Amino acid sequence: MNETRARHLFRPCTWVYVVLLSLTFITWLVGVNHFSGRFFAFLVFGFALLKGQLIGDYFMGLKQVAGPWRWVVFTWLLLVGILISSAFWQTV
Amino acid sequence: MSETKKPRWPPGDLVIWIFIMAELLVFGVFFATYAFTRAHHVAQFDTYQLTLNRNAALINTLALITSSYFVVRAVAAIRADNSQACFRWLLAALAMGLLFLVVKGAEYHHHFSMGVNLGTNTFYMFYLSLTFFHFLHVVLGMIILLAVALKAHRGGYSAAEHTGVETGASYWHMVDLVWMILFPLVYVMR
Repeated sequence: MNETRARHLFRPCTWVYVVLLSLTFITWLVGVNHFSGRFFAFLVFGFALLKGQLIGDYFMGLKQVAGPWRWVVFTWLLLVGILISSAFWQTV
Repeated sequence: MSETKKPRWPPGDLVIWIFIMAELLVFGVFFATYAFTRAHHVAQFDTYQLTLNRNAALINTLALITSSYFVVRAVAAIRADNSQACFRWLLAALAMGLLFLVVKGAEYHHHFSMGVNLGTNTFYMFYLSLTFFHFLHVVLGMIILLAVALKAHRGGYSAAEHTGVETGASYWHMVDLVWMILFPLVYVMR
């Protein structure tokens, strides 16, 4: 494999893609095995928030933006995370 | 790249980002409403969540992530002034989007053939409305990507001017982003 080809394959977005797939498989395993309870619910939800941040940073390109727009996806994930967590905390 | 050299504006047309923020707000309210309603109907939500097809949800999640990755590659291609590679990546992304629609359509067919509808119970009301609302966003995203792909094929974008590609890409990533929350929330968390 030449150097150009290696750079092509291992660019940051490709690593992010692999991480996104991996976290999705873990989430699916939790789902198909019907794992329930606070630990598993917040584990997969934490993965979801992390995946969202990775998509915002690396796919939407917000990691390369300075100023308020950098935090659009982070702020949304934070608000959604707080609301959903508070709703699930007492019921799982 | 140092902080001072970073652009102050996100990729694509600023208007799409206003639209994206509005869309995220709507989905956020929808998600919170689902979660707080579930808190009052835990038994019902946990029971009927088991009727959902998690394998289909996995395929759909992989399809959207892969599609988003292909769109990232399309943007990289046009930034390298390779409009035909951009076109091919966008076609691949559209194929993944089509896979999503087919799998989701099969899920809906299964539920409808079992007599499930919006009025069956509160869980199904949320499941059908939330996922169909997202389904429509996938359709709109595909229409945008198709328009961008056709223009790229005609050589309408270049390394110097490709705002349209970045605009379509940003919208498509938003559709992917929303599904990342929807998948565990509706199909897995219990």
